[in-house]
This record gives sequence, C-alpha cells and structure tokens, in this order.
Amino acid sequence: MQSVHAEGLAGIAPELCLVVTSLAILVVDLVLKGGERASRLMGYVTWAGLALTGFLLLLAQGNPAKTVYGLVTVDRFGNFFKLFTVASVAVVAYFLHSDRTERRTGLGEYYFLLVGAAIGIFFMVGTNNLLLLMLGLELLSLASYSLAGYHKHEKRSAEASMKYVVFGGLSAGIMLYGISLLYGLTGTIDISVMAGAASEGIPRSLAGAIHNSPAAVAVAVVLVLAGFAYKVSIAPFHFWAPDVYEGAPTPVTTFLAVASKAAGFGALLRFLGVLFAAPGTHEVVAGYGQQVGHLIAILAAVTMTLGNLAALRQESVKRMLAYSSIAHAGYVMVGVVTMNATGFEAALYYLAAYYFMNLGAFGFLLYFHGATGKETYDSLKGMGYKAPVISIAMVVFLISLTGIPPTIGFYGKYKLAIACFEHYPWLVLCMLLNSVVSLFYYIKVARYLFLFDPAEETPAPQPVFVGVMLAMALLTVALGIGVAPLVNWAASSLDILAVAR
Amino acid sequence: MNESSILSWITFIPLIGMAAVLAVPRRNLPLIKMITGVATFVPLALATRLYFSMFAKGTAAYQFVERFDWIEMIGVQYYLGVDGLSLPLVWLTTLLLFIAVPASETVPKASKAYYALLLLLEVGITGVFVSLDYFLFYVFWEVMLLPMYFLIGIWGGPRREYAAIKFFLFTLAGSVLMLVAIVALRLQTGTFSIPELAAAGAAGLSGPALLGMSFTTWVFWFLFVGFAIKVPVFPFHTWLPDAHVEAPTPISVILAGILLKLGGYGMIRACFPIVPFAFNTFAYSLGVLGVISIVYGAYVALGQSDFKKMVAYSSVSHMGFVLLGMAALTEWGMNGAALQMFNHGTSSAACFLVVGVIYDRAHHRDLNAFGGVAQSMPRYWALTTVAFFASLGLPSMAGFVSEAMTLVGSFQSDDRRFRLLVLISCLGIVLTAAYILWALQRVFLGPLNEKYRDYSDINAREIFCQAPLLILCVLLGVAPFLLLDWMDASVVSLVDFLRQAS
Repeated sequence: MQSVHAEGLAGIAPELCLVVTSLAILVVDLVLKGGERASRLMGYVTWAGLALTGFLLLLAQGNPAKTVYGLVTVDRFGNFFKLFTVASVAVVAYFLHSDRTERRTGLGEYYFLLVGAAIGIFFMVGTNNLLLLMLGLELLSLASYSLAGYHKHEKRSAEASMKYVVFGGLSAGIMLYGISLLYGLTGTIDISVMAGAASEGIPRSLAGAIHNSPAAVAVAVVLVLAGFAYKVSIAPFHFWAPDVYEGAPTPVTTFLAVASKAAGFGALLRFLGVLFAAPGTHEVVAGYGQQVGHLIAILAAVTMTLGNLAALRQESVKRMLAYSSIAHAGYVMVGVVTMNATGFEAALYYLAAYYFMNLGAFGFLLYFHGATGKETYDSLKGMGYKAPVISIAMVVFLISLTGIPPTIGFYGKYKLAIACFEHYPWLVLCMLLNSVVSLFYYIKVARYLFLFDPAEETPAPQPVFVGVMLAMALLTVALGIGVAPLVNWAASSLDILAVAR
Repeated sequence: MNESSILSWITFIPLIGMAAVLAVPRRNLPLIKMITGVATFVPLALATRLYFSMFAKGTAAYQFVERFDWIEMIGVQYYLGVDGLSLPLVWLTTLLLFIAVPASETVPKASKAYYALLLLLEVGITGVFVSLDYFLFYVFWEVMLLPMYFLIGIWGGPRREYAAIKFFLFTLAGSVLMLVAIVALRLQTGTFSIPELAAAGAAGLSGPALLGMSFTTWVFWFLFVGFAIKVPVFPFHTWLPDAHVEAPTPISVILAGILLKLGGYGMIRACFPIVPFAFNTFAYSLGVLGVISIVYGAYVALGQSDFKKMVAYSSVSHMGFVLLGMAALTEWGMNGAALQMFNHGTSSAACFLVVGVIYDRAHHRDLNAFGGVAQSMPRYWALTTVAFFASLGLPSMAGFVSEAMTLVGSFQSDDRRFRLLVLISCLGIVLTAAYILWALQRVFLGPLNEKYRDYSDINAREIFCQAPLLILCVLLGVAPFLLLDWMDASVVSLVDFLRQAS
C-alpha cells in the first residue's frame, strides 16, 4: 500500500505544491495582518510556489504517462497545460503586483484565489475522469467568480462577477447533465474506458452506445461541448465574456483570457482526443468524431466572425481585447475541428503563441489604465511618444495577434491553416479573411498610439515592467522566426493520442 | 565579405543600419541621417557591383544562390537568388531608397523613427525580390506593410490615417488570398521552393476541385488577385490614389517606383509559372484588365486637378502595359513588360519628385492655381519636362521603348484578339499625351502668377535626387540593351516555359 501512495503522491506533487503555496499565502496574510509588506511577501511566496511547481512539472516531463489513484492522469499533454498555467499565473501575479490602480494592502485573497484557480486547472486538464474534470472546472470557476468581483465596491466588477456566476452555473449544469447522460449510456465516467472496447468488463462502450442510440449520444456530446464552449467562450456561449472581461480587474481579465481559456481548451482537447481521435478508435466512433468536427467547424467560423465584428465597434480597448479573445478562441478551434494530431498540435502551438501576444497586450492595457485611469482608445492618443518601448512592444503584439510575419502569431495561423486546409478549406479562408478584419481594430490601437500628438502628462512605466514587456515582444518575434522549440514542445505533448489500446 | 552571400548583405545591411539608428539618441538627427545614408548607399554599391561585374548574362539560371534550412520540420528554406528579372529591380530598389534619404529632408518632423522605418522597408522590398522560397517571400512581403503604414500614417498629408489603413487593409486582403494559395500548393506539392513549384506546375499540377472550378484555377486567381492589388490592376486600384496623395514625397517615390513593381514581379515569378495552364486559359482576360487599366487610368488622370493624384493615376495606366505585355506571351511583350516595370520605376519616381519640389514651395498641388512657373523656375521646368516626356513615352526616352515593345509584342501574340487590345490601348497613349501636356501647360506656361514670382529655383539637393532618375530615363531610351541584355535570357526562358504549357 505504501508504494501506491509513494507513487501517487509523487504523481500529484505539483498539485500538492500549489496547495501548500496557497496555504502559505493564507498564513503570511494572517501573521502579517495584510499590510503592504505582507502583500509584497505574498507575491514572492506565490512566485516561489509557482517556480517550484514548474520545476516539478519539468522533472516529470520525461516520465511515461500514468494514472494515479485511478483518477489523476499524469502525462505530457497535461503537463503542457500545467506549465502553461504556471507560466501565465506567474505573469498575472506580476501584473497584480505592479497594478497601479490596485490598493497596496490586503491582497491575501487575491493571491490565494489565483493559486486556487490554478489548482482547479491542474485537475481539470490532468484527468480522464469526467467527474474529476467537473470538480476541477468548478474549483476554477468558483475562484474566478470571486476574482472577477474582487473590486466589490465597484459596480462594474460586482456586476461582472454576478453575470459570471449565473452563466457559469447554468453551463456547469448543462455540462453535468451531458456527463450524466454519457454515464448512463456507457456505464463509465472515464473517457479512456468509454473509448475502449465493450469486452473489458464494461457493459457498453461509446461505439456500442452510438450504435444503439445515436440521438442520445448526440445530445450528451452536445451538452458536454456546451460546457466547454462556455469555458473557452465559443459562440453561442460567449455572451458572458465581454462584460466579465471588462468588469474584472485587468490582471484577472488576463487570467481569464489566457490561463482559464487555455485550461478549457486543454480539457476539451483531451475529451475529443481520447474519445474520437486516438489511433485505434473504433470506425463508428471516429466517424462520429468527424460529425462532431463539422459542428465545431461551423461554431468556429461563427465565433471568429462574431468576435471580430463586435471588436470593430468597441470604444474601450479592454472590451476590444475581450472580443478579440473570443475571435482567437475561434481560431484555435480551427485546429480542433480536424480531429487529428496535426490539428491538435497546431491548436497547442497557437495557444502557446496566444500566451505571449495576449499577455503582452493585457500588460500594455494594465500600464495604460494605471497611467491614465481610462480604457478608451481616445486616452491612448500620443502615448507612443511618452512610453515608446512599451508602445512599440504593443505594436509587435498587435501584428502578432493579426497574424503578420515574422511573428509567432503568423506561424500559429499558418500551422492552423495547413492542418485544416484538407478538411475545411472554407474555414481556412474564413480565418484568414477574419484576420484582415481584425487588422482594422488592432491597428487602431497603433494609430492612436503613434498617429496623434500626445495630450496630457502620464507617468513613465516602471523599468522592470518595460523589461518584461520588451522580453515578451522579443520572444514574440524570435519564436516566430525560430519556431522549432515551441513546435517540438507542442508535438511531443500529444501523448493522449498515442495511447495504446 | 563573401561573394556567395552578397544577396544577404544587400538585403540585411539596412537592418543593421536600422539597429544603429535606434541606438543613436533621437536628438542627434544629423548622425541618424548619415547612418541611414550609409546603410542605403552600401547596398546600392553592392548591387551595382553585382549588376555590372558579377552577374553572368546570357543564362536564365538563378545566380548567387544561398540555400539552407530555416524551418526544417515544414521544409521552409532560406533560399535566395537572382536572375535577369529580379536583378534590375533589386538595383532599382537600392537606388530609390538611397535617393529617398536626401529627398526626406523636406518631410516635416522626419525623426529617428522615420529613418528606422525607411530602412526596415528596404529590407522587406529587397527581400521579396531575392527570395526563391515562397514562405520567405511571403514573410518579406508582409514585413513591408507595417513600415509603410506608419510612414504614410504619421508623416503623411491631412487624410493620412484613412490612406494608411486603406493601403494596409487592401494589401493584407491580397496577401491573405496569397497565403491560402501557398498553403494549398504546399499541401499538393510538398515544397515551398518557387523553382520547384514551377517545375511541378509545368508537369501539370492537380488537386481537388471546388465549386466547379479546378484546383489550378483557384490557385491562379488567388495569387493573381493578391499581386494585382499591389500593381494595382483595375478594379483593385482604389487604394493607390489615396496612398499616393497622402504619402510624403519620398514615400510616394518608393511606392510608385518599387512597391507597384512587386505586384508585376510577383506575377511573373510566383504566379504564372506555377500555374501555367491556368495562366494560358485566362491570358486574354488579363490582357483585357491591362487595357482597361491603361485607358481608365489615363482617362481619370486627365480629369484630376491635384498634381499628385494625376501622377498617381498615371501609374495605374502605365502599369497596365506591364500586364498587357505579360499576358500576350511573346518575347517582345514579356521583355517590354519587364522593361516597362523598370522604366516606370524611374519615370514615376522622377514625376513624384517633381511634384514634391513645387509642393514644398507652394504648399498646394492644385494644377489650376499654377501658371507661368517656367519663368521663375527655369531649371525646374527643364527637369520636369524631361521627367514628363519620359513618362509620356516620347521616342528616345525610356518609356517609349518599353511601351512600344509591349504593344508590338502584344500584336504578335498567337491570340488574334490581342490586336484589338493593342488598338484600344493606343487610345490610352493619346490620353497620356493629353494629360501630361495639359499639366505642363497649366503649371509652367501662360502668364506668370504673381504669387510664384519669388520662388527659388530647384536646388542642388533636389537636382541630386532627380539626376540619376532622369539620366536613366534618357539612357535607357537610347541604349535599352543596358537592361535587355541582362533580362533577355530569363525572359526567353520564361516565355518558352509558359508557352509549353499552352
């Protein structure tokens, strides 16, 4: 028994490390009574915990995939998203740390909730068990609801939180219902078992269920997909996103747009990959997966188009970025629809690209909101002459978001295009035309930054912050020219599709 | 400096210059200008050496090839090389960028960022002309957009923002279509190398048909539209007048002189040879589009009262000859088209400099408000006349040779219908003569408008910018072999290649 525990605990060491970090934050908060020093110290504790977690994840990177306690799957795919989460939460914590609009004391819950959300993500992306996935998702959601309403005296923030709770609760219910249907149809809540053959002591496999009651399976799959669609803000479940993104404090928005969204994609890709796309999948199931792909292709096209068209009309840069992140969810879906390794690899790569360019864009938003107190395009006027480095970095992020070479965003779009072209050429065309539309509102930021004379005095950004933004911008270009590291990482993270049956 | 890497040096020296410019404090503008001057002069010197002493004439093969893997996993290569079609345009690029530096003296508020962007622009343009890998080609193609956007958008005229975004959106829309075609080609052939793609195209490229149109037809139109927007061919030309009118003089010079050539060059390098069968099928349609551009551009130019807009529309008209000559698919036609690209590069650049000179003094460009300027600015008048007559296509000037070759070549075309097109395009020549002579008359002749009495004549810096272009306009009019000898082998091989596919 002891060895089982030793193995199990070693498997979930990163998760445990995060739990300890979150407790340590609470202790620091309690002991130092939430002063300014405590806030700073909690930031350091968070980074230390995240660094250790990241280290543990890297250590586990080479290990073969395994399932511990019959629930948690430790594999490279999960590690991809866990590392992604660690890296994004670290930057979000830094944003929080340098947020000029944030009060400087009593930030205990803020850090605690961030780490808590990360724990949720870890379980969500690291399991084949739909119930644990649901629990992880709920943990993430609960932490996110509170984070979105962190400025509880601000009407916008409170409203955002409320909306988030209502939409989140509804979609969680829908998803849970879908899971219960799947359980009823197949007799298991483990998707790897579900995808297997019926003879392994399992009453019915997915193949059997599809054979017997295709309509019921369709309803179940659609309901589960609806839950994921909500998490990654795919139309028609995206309505919460703009309001929540706008109302939440900017670091939280960053977390929602980057880490939380990637987590949703992680769980979605695992769900689709294990069920429909792994080699050796039953013919009937694979065919069914293609049908699901058709549905997702339509949703992807609608999502990116809606997101882009809505982003065109925004006055607020923050809201524009919210709609743009909806559009980008649509782009990632272009990789998902293929239901094969090439497409999933492209989706993972695009998410990694999305990490750099979106964190950068939100970082810029944070600075300029802190400097001017406003979020409209108008208040950007002439900013490029007062904070040149950050503004040039922002232009780099914007052209990367548009998908113009030589940036990481272009290579991401290229990979998506080449992966999807054989299956859905029209979707590729739709994506690329959408990127032309998106240019219009992205370049609007550059226009206000550089094409107008500076208006009022704004405080200069902190040197460290400039350094972080510059590093992000350089990486956005460098990784767009030397693409090998990220591509290799994405390709080697697809072990969910290589599971022998 | 290794001779085999000379193309990389020509392409990336401006990038080194840009890094140097960025390192200089913004107050030290003289030093910035000097660095920019050096960083544009060195590529010009190298390209001149390449042209006259290193390049082997009489062969259609790519020379000074540099080829190694860039993104191994998808087979993207850093693959550079020049032949007789691209080398003259590389040289023209380096020349016009070098001229743009002194010409920028009059751009208000030209700052460190301006010169840095100018150098970045040169990297993109030169890169396109020397790339033989389609992925690399596309990357350079897009690198041009952002500097151009800011150069028009920050340092342009009153409606600069509108013009800049319009330019950016049109070009990006075109290049997105191009990207779709590149992706499709890559999936069908497994290569990005333009020569290999051309070989695959000649062998008969096939792929899934869509909506009743064959694979090659789709690829052809996607690529063609992508390049046609840049040329610009009617009806994709509407961004051009706006961009030209709002851009500062040196940027207009670059825009008309080289950026438009990228479209024509793209067609003969990276569109027609890859889908030669589709090209043969639609050659006549392209010829028609070319003739519409010729006549329509000239007709609209006739109606302009804005000096710069008139020159802008004349570009649409002149670039129409390029398309007509290419579509005719004869050696004369293709040679004429290639020559016309170069000649329009010098003559339109000279015309925009001419407009810039008078604009710097009068601060308006209304043709009807001038008059008798020849009396106060005689030297300026002389230079303008040369530039305008070159543009008009006066015999013994460069434009005449290339336009005549294009028309003769089109007349020789196997497709008899081209004869009608030649007849119609002669109408364009008459209209061209009309608007150019009329403009000369309105600006320089007639009674001297008192307002312009005290204008200083064209100065040494302005002459320095103009002189090389005007010398080329005359020189290539009397000695066109200075270009034709270099181009001929490549042109002949291209024409043979395309004809085999008919």
